[in-house]
Parts: sequence; C-alpha cells; structure tokens
Amino acid sequence: MKAQRVSLWLVAAMVFLWSVRARGLRRCLISMDIHPVEETFQEIKKTIQAKDTFQNVTILSTSETLHSIKPSDVCCMTKNLLAFYVDRVFKDHQELDPQILRKISSIANSFLYMHKALQRCQAQRQCHCREAATNATRIIHDNYDQLEVRSAAIKSLGELDVLLAWIDKNHQGTLAA
Amino acid sequence: MFQVELSRQTQTLSVVLEEILTSPIMWFFYALIPCLLIDGVAVLPAPQNLSVQSTNMKHLLTWSPVIVPGEIIYYFVEYQGEYESLYMSHIWIPSSWCSPTEGPACDITDDITATVPYNLHVRATLGSQTSAWSTLQHPFNRNSTILTPPVMEVTKDGFHLVIKLEDLGPQFEFLVAYWRREPDAKEHVKVVRSRGIPVHLETMEPGAAYCVKVRTFVKAIGRHSPFSQAECVKVQGETLPLALALFAFFGFTLMLVVMPLSVWKMGRLLRYSCCPVVVLPDTLKITNSPQKLISCRKEEVEACATAVLSSEEPFRSWI
Repeated sequence: MKAQRVSLWLVAAMVFLWSVRARGLRRCLISMDIHPVEETFQEIKKTIQAKDTFQNVTILSTSETLHSIKPSDVCCMTKNLLAFYVDRVFKDHQELDPQILRKISSIANSFLYMHKALQRCQAQRQCHCREAATNATRIIHDNYDQLEVRSAAIKSLGELDVLLAWIDKNHQGTLAA
Repeated sequence: MFQVELSRQTQTLSVVLEEILTSPIMWFFYALIPCLLIDGVAVLPAPQNLSVQSTNMKHLLTWSPVIVPGEIIYYFVEYQGEYESLYMSHIWIPSSWCSPTEGPACDITDDITATVPYNLHVRATLGSQTSAWSTLQHPFNRNSTILTPPVMEVTKDGFHLVIKLEDLGPQFEFLVAYWRREPDAKEHVKVVRSRGIPVHLETMEPGAAYCVKVRTFVKAIGRHSPFSQAECVKVQGETLPLALALFAFFGFTLMLVVMPLSVWKMGRLLRYSCCPVVVLPDTLKITNSPQKLISCRKEEVEACATAVLSSEEPFRSWI
C-alpha cells in the first residue's frame, strides 16, 4: 500500500516536472517573431544569392543538421545558429551598397535581439544543449571554415531563407503572446 | 678670424629674418596656416539637444536647429544598431529619409527595425562647410515607445454589434473586450488583426445594453497599451413587439367582423347572378277567386276591345 502510494507520488511529480519543463520551452520560444525578418530578407535575397559563386556546396547542410534536430533540441539549435550568424557571418561580410547594408543591419540586429532572449532562457535552464544540437552546430562551423571567408559569408547570407523557414516551422504555434 | 666670420653670418641671418617678418606676403601665408591644420572646415556649430519622441511605434528624432541668417542648412542623420556598435563600431548607416533633410526633425521609424538600442548622430552642412557630429545622449530602444489607448467606433447594424478600429500599422493587433451590461456578465475577448475594416462582435438581444473596450498589443516589443474607455450601446427592442401585438389584435378583430359580412354579400351576389328570383308584376297577379275573375274578364275584354279599336285607327290612317 505504502509502496503504491510512493510510486503514485513519484509519477505525479514526474508528470508535473515534465509539464513545467514543456511549458518553459514554450515560454522560451515565444519571442521568435520571424516574419518581419523574412520580409526584409526577401527584398535582398536575389542580389545576395547571385553573388554566391559556389553553387554546389552548402554550409547549413539541412539534411545532416537542421532536419535531424528533435523538438527538444530546437531551442539550443536556434540559439547556436543565431550566434553563428551574429558572431561570424555578418561580421565577415563587407557590404558596400547602402541599401543592402541597411537590410543586413536590420536582420543582424533582429538576430541579436532573439539571441539575447534565448540566452536568458538558457540562464533560466529553459534551453538545454545536448549532444545532437552541439554536433550539428559543429558541422555547420566546419563547413564554413572550409571556404574562403568572404565566399563563406556570402553563401551563408544566401542560405538565410532556409534558416528562417526552419525557425518559422519549429516555432509555429508558440508565437501567440 | 673665426669669430669675425661667425658674427658676419649672424648679422646676415638677422637681416633675412627681419625681411621675412615685415613682408606682407608672408603674413598672408601665416594667416592660412590655421586653416590648413584643421581637417575639413568645421565652422558650423553642431546641432544640439538631440532627443527622440516615440508614440505607437512611430519614432521622431528632433534637435535644435542651426541658424545661419539667409541660408538653408541641411542635416545628415546616421544610425547604428547595437550589432554595429558591438561588432563594427566604425559603421554608421545613413537614415532612409534624412540624408540629407532640411527640418530639425527626422522620422526614423523605417530605420529602427529591431528591438535593440540604437545610437543616432546628426551633423549640419552649409555648402562645403560641415559641423561636427552631435550624438544622442542615451541610445534609443523602440520598446520605450508610448502606447496609447486606441480609437474605436462602436455602431449598431440592426441587432449586430460592430466595431471599427483605427489603423496603427502591421505591428499592432487589437484585443477587444465586450460584455452585456448586467451583474455577473461574462467578458468576451476577441483578437482583431485586420485594420480599418468593421468587425462584427455579437448579435445583440433586444433591450440589453452591451459595452466594449479595446487595447493594442505590439508583438515586436511584447507590450500592451492601456484599455480605452468603455463605450456602451443598447438596442430598442421592448416597444416593437408590443406594437406588433396590438396591430395583430386589431387586425384580427377587423377580420372577424369584415369576413362574415363579405361572405354574406358575396353569397347574395352569387345567388342573384346564377339563380335570380323571378317576381310576377302586379298586373299578372291573381289575387281574386276564379268566378270573379271570369266576370271581371268580360268587362275587361270589352274595355280592352274598345281600347284596341281606338288604337288601330291612327295606325290605319298612318298606313
């Protein structure tokens, strides 16, 4: 009888903890308002992608990386990808056209805002990084390092539509405040 | 010997120096030296008192104008998001609408596109003269915008409760709360994303009052505005059914009286038209006994015969 009661309490506690964690994930993902960024990128997409001279390679490697990410790793993977763009891609790209510079600045600052929000989630233990997300991130960084830095930067910029679509798909249903 | 040579050289040097110092041409060149030392002629004063006023996600940068009598001053505005200030601090981006601009104000709404702190600076130009850059004291973040209660128009379309909201742009959505004005009434909330189009809230029950209030939500900064003042409307429903009932009653009563009358009249008409009653004229009526009739008939025949003869004469004469 006692054993039954204890096991019931354990199950109830586990369910409660899981629901809190799931709610926490959902709360963490709420700040991803990606549509303005998608609209901004659409305006410069053709120009950016036309400058990519290495059409046969990909840096994001969606089949190896993004498509293999489970829902529980989405928060960490999103945070890592945003950091990749903010810390490396935008910095390595030298843009001279003021119109394009304006749009890239808008995207970069939006990514910075989202990255900071996810860092706060991580500090509150709502965005846990496991091996799968860490490995996928490493593949992307390795792909980037294999190309000359300017070419790698322009290629990564051109692949923003893939990244934004992945973020949109994985954060759908959680955008309502 | 050596001392004489030295004194002679010193004398020559002092004469040359004296000539240089007194020559007007040389003084002209001296005056130009300060101008050569300064990089670009910064004669214009820099604009002062930069500030940003932001209401409902519309941001306006203003400054004190630089006054040069008789001249038009042009201003250049540049911005730098937090990303640029952290990773490439030398990069400043010209404002979309204000590079250059004439007025001492600039709508920077299209430049501030992320919810991060932005640095802003302005400088004045007049021809080839430019002022130094004047920088906004505290970086501006759009999450400090003042959100005001939205303007709404509540109308009745028959029994339908309809609301029309002002257009604040694509970043705004409206949270409309409405309830029946009675104790313990439940409050309904509707999220409206369409702008400028009338929205149907509820079909009202006659005689009940309904109240509506609304506030905005901006997803980009995660903030709500205060609620607007509640507006209430009521549908006049009580007198209408009463009037209808009275009308129906009188109509029914009228029908009860008129219908039998008209049925009876129709019946009479029909009887007359298809089966009329034939009435004998008085002259053919037999009112006396047959014997009397025979005796009467004799007298009548005689009278009748004389009457016939008298009428035949003019006829014969006419023929």
